Amino acid sequence: MTDGSAIEIVGLEKRFGSTKALDGINLAVPAGQVFGFLGPNGAGKTTTLRILTGLAFASGGSARILGQDVTAAGNQLRSQIGYLPDVPGFYGWMTAPQFLHYVGRLFGLPRETITERTNALLDMAGLTSVRTAIGGFSRGMKQRLGIAQALMNAPRLLLLDEPTSALDPIGRREVLDMIVSLRGRTTVFFSTHILADVERVCDSVAILHRGQVVADATIAELKRRMAVDRLTIEVEGDAELLSADLSGQPWVRSIERAGSRVTLAVTDAALAQREVPAAVVRAGLGLRRFESGEVSLEDVFVDLVGPNER
Amino acid sequence: MSGFSAFLAKELQEIRKTWRIWVVPGMVLFFAVSSPIIAYLTPRLIASMAESQPGVTVILPPPTWTDAYGQFLKNLQQVVLIAVVITGAGAISGERAAGTAVLTLTKPLARGAFVLAKIISQSLLLIACAALGAAVCAVVTRVIFGPAPISPLLNAVLLWLAYALLLVTVMTFFSAWFAARGAAAGLGLAFFFVSLLIGIWAPAVRYTFIGLLPAVAKAIAGQPVTTLWPLATAVAMIVVSAAAAVKVFERQEL
Repeated sequence: MTDGSAIEIVGLEKRFGSTKALDGINLAVPAGQVFGFLGPNGAGKTTTLRILTGLAFASGGSARILGQDVTAAGNQLRSQIGYLPDVPGFYGWMTAPQFLHYVGRLFGLPRETITERTNALLDMAGLTSVRTAIGGFSRGMKQRLGIAQALMNAPRLLLLDEPTSALDPIGRREVLDMIVSLRGRTTVFFSTHILADVERVCDSVAILHRGQVVADATIAELKRRMAVDRLTIEVEGDAELLSADLSGQPWVRSIERAGSRVTLAVTDAALAQREVPAAVVRAGLGLRRFESGEVSLEDVFVDLVGPNER
Repeated sequence: MSGFSAFLAKELQEIRKTWRIWVVPGMVLFFAVSSPIIAYLTPRLIASMAESQPGVTVILPPPTWTDAYGQFLKNLQQVVLIAVVITGAGAISGERAAGTAVLTLTKPLARGAFVLAKIISQSLLLIACAALGAAVCAVVTRVIFGPAPISPLLNAVLLWLAYALLLVTVMTFFSAWFAARGAAAGLGLAFFFVSLLIGIWAPAVRYTFIGLLPAVAKAIAGQPVTTLWPLATAVAMIVVSAAAAVKVFERQEL
């Protein structure tokens, strides 16, 4: 492990026939951080996680977790990792406590530790009073049990693939709170396309698009790098005239127009606040609304991967 | 408890707690009880049918314990072995399809240990079924036909068991190879029926595992049986199939 990186990915490639699912991605995830792995559907997030867990094999490049090459990963490395796949599969005939006991035995934990952790994790997952077999669980219950089993070995690295996608708002909040509580003790690497989750709990984020990492930074740095501010202007008259006037300005990063509203991403907010009203006057329009605010992660995401990708 | 023993314990518990307990064990037990009864009743049924046909006389020898054992082994060789093929087809492909292999194999359990635990659990089930079936069949035969020697039944069941264990390992290989349970089952059935067909070729019977099934009938009849080559090649085939299953599964993406 170099410089405290829990995950190091260098030039990772994955090809399915002629299709490149991963096109040479590079990534370093610092130990102890909550790291969001963002990307639209089909970007390559699950493929990356499957390679990291040894379920799939890379076509090129290398990946190391906790200092060890994943291609040579043995039981010793797997005993330090927790993993939740996007759709976890359970033995339907087992109950939740039976499954957690089974997982504890796979990790070779002492009986007392298994019992203690099973009780604590069932409590965390809200499954303590559930007596039915897992076959009768809802998707949300399975997802919560999936997170519980990923924590059974108190892992140094927790890999979560879309952990909140099947949860209701309360379940989602509980999972995110649980992820936050692990910060500093466990490195959490989770893939998602829910931007609000990333913005809420992550220290850093990487954005994957068409098999390539298009951004990798802290959320604050990413916003700073992408644009300083976002301005919303609503005019009386033809907003197209304003768009045309502003489109050539060097401090304008992007322009979106919807009816009488124009939204600008700008690199110099102070200059924009002086120039935009002047441009409205030049175009012969009336100014109805003029608001400024920080860009959201969603703005950054859309800027990077395009508005039509989800 | 290591990952291997935890997974093996899960496998054995799964047999007990799911439909798997009713398939092969249920069949073996059913045939162990019904075979001696059918052997006893069959000549009487044929005679009663013949009586209703004027001018037809059917003379059948009275049934004996040999018929009871023969009927039991015939059922084991046909119906039970096909059930072994069908259930074995899902051993690994079923876990892959259900996603359970992913959760298990991201824990400290090597893929080789996963495959071996599958083979061992299914083999233990078959051994238990064969022992129980032989015991029940011997008891029911004794009740119906009076004292009967045990050794022909034991020899025949052991020969059948050797072939069944080979089939379990071959099916585990097919199940590791193909993601689809149907493909593994199809190939397994082809393997089974082709090995039956090859059974008409004397050198194959004498020098390969193909000779195990024809030897079953000879063992029941009390005829001398030389099974050195069939047993040796069966053991070799089991080792090769198990190694191939591990190798194929280690190279597969889940």
